[in-house]
Amino acid sequence: MDPFESIKQTFFQECDELLTDAEQGLLDMESGTADSETINAVFRAVHSVKGGAGAFGLEDLIRFAHVFETIMDELRSEKMELTNVVAKTLLRAFDVLADHVAAARDGGQVDEARSSGMLDELKALIGAEGMEDEAADPDEDFGFVPVVLDLDEPGGFVSLDLPEPEAGLPVLEIPAEPEVANGVWIIKFAPGADMYAKANEAGLVLRELARLGPTEVTLHDETLPALDLLSAEQAYFSWTIRLTTEGDEASIREVFEFVEDDCKIEISREGGAPVSLETEPAEEISDDDAKARASAEAPLDLDALLARIGAVPTVEAVAEPVPESTPAPAPAPVVLEAIAEPEPVAVVAAPPPVIEEPAQDVAALIARAQTADVPVAPAPAREKAAPAAASNTPQPAAAATIRVDLDRVDRLINAVGELVIQQAMLSQRVTESGLARSSNVALGLEDLELLTREIQDSVMAIRAQPVKSVFQRMPRLVREVADMVGKRVRLVMDGEGTEVDKTVIERLTDPITHMLRNAIDHGLETPDERTAAGKPTEGVVKLRALHRGGRIVIEVQDDGRGINRPRVRGIAIAKGLITEEAILTDEEVDNLIFLPGFSTADSISDISGRGVGMDVVRRSIQGLGGRITISSEPGKGSKFTMSLPLTLAVLDGMVVTAAEQTLVAPLSAIVESLTPRMEDVHYVGGKDAVIRIRDSFVPLIDVGVALGFRDTPIHAASGVAVLVESEAGGKAALLVEAIQGQRQVVIKSLEANYQQIDGVAAATILGDGRVALILDVDALVTAQHRRKPAARSEKRLAG
Amino acid sequence: MTSDQTLAALSLPPVLDLQAADPLRAELLSLRGRPLQVDASQVNRLGGLCLQVLMSAKKLWVEDGQSFTLEDPSEVFSEQLSAFGASHFHFEPEGEVS
Amino acid sequence: MTKTILTIDDSRTMREMLNHALVEAGYRVIQAVDGIEGLEVLQAQGADVVITDINMPRLDGFGVIEGVRADPNHRATPILVLTTESDAAKKERARSAGATGWIVKPFNPVKLVDAVRRVAA
Repeated sequence: MDPFESIKQTFFQECDELLTDAEQGLLDMESGTADSETINAVFRAVHSVKGGAGAFGLEDLIRFAHVFETIMDELRSEKMELTNVVAKTLLRAFDVLADHVAAARDGGQVDEARSSGMLDELKALIGAEGMEDEAADPDEDFGFVPVVLDLDEPGGFVSLDLPEPEAGLPVLEIPAEPEVANGVWIIKFAPGADMYAKANEAGLVLRELARLGPTEVTLHDETLPALDLLSAEQAYFSWTIRLTTEGDEASIREVFEFVEDDCKIEISREGGAPVSLETEPAEEISDDDAKARASAEAPLDLDALLARIGAVPTVEAVAEPVPESTPAPAPAPVVLEAIAEPEPVAVVAAPPPVIEEPAQDVAALIARAQTADVPVAPAPAREKAAPAAASNTPQPAAAATIRVDLDRVDRLINAVGELVIQQAMLSQRVTESGLARSSNVALGLEDLELLTREIQDSVMAIRAQPVKSVFQRMPRLVREVADMVGKRVRLVMDGEGTEVDKTVIERLTDPITHMLRNAIDHGLETPDERTAAGKPTEGVVKLRALHRGGRIVIEVQDDGRGINRPRVRGIAIAKGLITEEAILTDEEVDNLIFLPGFSTADSISDISGRGVGMDVVRRSIQGLGGRITISSEPGKGSKFTMSLPLTLAVLDGMVVTAAEQTLVAPLSAIVESLTPRMEDVHYVGGKDAVIRIRDSFVPLIDVGVALGFRDTPIHAASGVAVLVESEAGGKAALLVEAIQGQRQVVIKSLEANYQQIDGVAAATILGDGRVALILDVDALVTAQHRRKPAARSEKRLAG
Repeated sequence: MTSDQTLAALSLPPVLDLQAADPLRAELLSLRGRPLQVDASQVNRLGGLCLQVLMSAKKLWVEDGQSFTLEDPSEVFSEQLSAFGASHFHFEPEGEVS
Repeated sequence: MTKTILTIDDSRTMREMLNHALVEAGYRVIQAVDGIEGLEVLQAQGADVVITDINMPRLDGFGVIEGVRADPNHRATPILVLTTESDAAKKERARSAGATGWIVKPFNPVKLVDAVRRVAA
């Protein structure tokens, strides 16, 4: 969806919530139970509505919300007393505010008479004089010049309408991109300690100036004491910068926007008078002459400016062709010194424009003169002019955002995946060729590897998105489900800004939806049951996203009844999923709900069911290389925890050999690896092996056999056992011949190329060019458990 | 100044910003009196305050008649020195400050 | 090296707008919904730049600025405050509390990214 529309939708969703909160607060204010925080909260709610409305240019809503907000501000600052009459008026005004929101959303109309009548009533509350300005300038809070937020064109700029050439001047065609002559500016910049204390940085200011054009920076360190007398956070340095730029003074000033009150700045044309002395901090002004001169000049401002504009042509016409090689009026340092002095810079009468250059230069000059017009505006207008000036200023990196077709990003990601493989192959070849590790080729390859990894990370970052787009659909789902099952639920969300690869985002919705449905339908009690259990009638469901260990974790937690373990166990036994004698930990019982065949139509309701059991949810999460577990505390609630890789494009794996095949086991599933000792291996029923690892027995799965590469298992002691843990907490040891090492691999979907194979999740291409299969650990472990619930009983037999 | 004449070495941290300035000053002062070799190879951010500290330290070392050398500046360090108009700081032969 | 921006605003709409513009500009964005959470997130994860609203529940933007400047581990973090054109008094108060710069609402994505770049080392 168009991001602008998407954010607008968020805004209206948020408005709903804000209005709900505001209404509750106003009701409390009416009933006399409101405290100052209630009033603050209502203020903030209305303020946020207004803020959003400002961004979207919803004028009627802004106007109304502004008056409402003003009253709330008066109330919270106790300039106005909260009486019952006021509260009642606000409640009625609230309804009109809600109508305005609805009208803005649905494109309808608000009853104009009612709205303006209400506005009058509100204004009457605080006395007319307070609102006088507002009527005149309802948008003042936004400076609502048509800065329409255009998210589609973040790099777009306001076109600057060049004024018509003044009468009397020769009329010339101004080229579409006027060749503006470069101006040379001398900037004196002396930071104060406060500038640094506010985390502004002289280096960044210098960097920003350099963005405007080539700079020559001279450092003045004369006042710097030796270290024993130095105060580390005091400012001693100052700089003089000679800047050659097409930009005007406003664009230079803009660089200093954040620091101008905390430093001394002087900007002047090279060889000319200081253009401005305005921003010296009051306590630091030692330069009375400068001040006096500035004030003396003030009335003549316009003339002075015209003179300067007039002066521009001569300097620039000369300087234009090759600014660097042109003899400047005086060597730069000399000029700098001169300007650094308090007063000797004579306000030299500017020579009259001498137009003797070819026509296109004249055009350039005129363009320049017109650009230079911008600062003529009186001080307050300067800020408003700045955006136009800025966008008119060539700034190479100003278009900091671009919109790119997703296809292109995906192609890039694929290509980088190939690059990673190619790079690994090359490294391997070099290793095989016997070149020394310290050889230039090997060293160069190391750099290449780092670079490749960096490119890969950067490319993946392009696609990273916050999970918010998924989360924001959930409150509504929760309301609907709660209504349907007659429960009261509050959804608390956290970590919406957590980022994850787009490929993962798209596939989060279903599992989260399902977990939430499950939490509300099964987890939470009815209001009556909750009351009986001594809990608030309203249940709380928390949805949370966070990064942990290089993965994204999604938690869905309810404060309901928790899992009914005896019942789950009964169902599992009835369905033949476990034997009656099986001894399971609480955690293992809880996780039985994920077993295939556990959920059936009669054990789940329509709501969470929809024909999908938790086993299907788990399968879909596993398909993403994820895991899901549940933990539960009777009477207190349950928590589903789902963890997923941050991307579906790469995987950290352990490379192993089984039946002469190279396979990759996802590192996330591996607990440890060990060499089996024969005395620890037992065979149940003569053939199914289990291995004792410390105090427990786990199935020992010969991977070569499980995948059908061979029929007979290898001798356990001749191989290596890799202990893995499935999502449900089920453990198994995978028996392989050897472990080759750990590496990050690029995942190639099998389904795109081959058919789905049981026990295999995907494939990858290794450094030597061979295809390696990536094991589906959960499928392997689950298959084993399903086939042999006896393995559990064995534990008891053996133990 | 008479004291231990063994060469002291200091490796600058990667980030030399506002909050690094005072600790850097303290650390440098603790090495006073000995010839100093400052390793700038790890630096990836150089702020104005820390530049002041470094140049001021050199000044003190020169006053003390000790050598003060900058070793192995990282690319960023050199670039930022030059952006500050202070390239001379590490190219200059020891014994002079500006 | 992707720079991380922490945005602190109780309005989801505003967070989303900031997020959109900043992510498009290649920044990583982490978010907090009020000042307390903002300071917690900053302590836990750090950030290259903090962008904070002023009016927020629990802890307002001034509190955030004071909190960051008083935190020995993060006091050098640049902070941009979201202000409105009209509210010069708040801007001044934010500045004297130690704000690095400001962004005028309703922000323009180009200006926003510009402001971030200007303070991000």
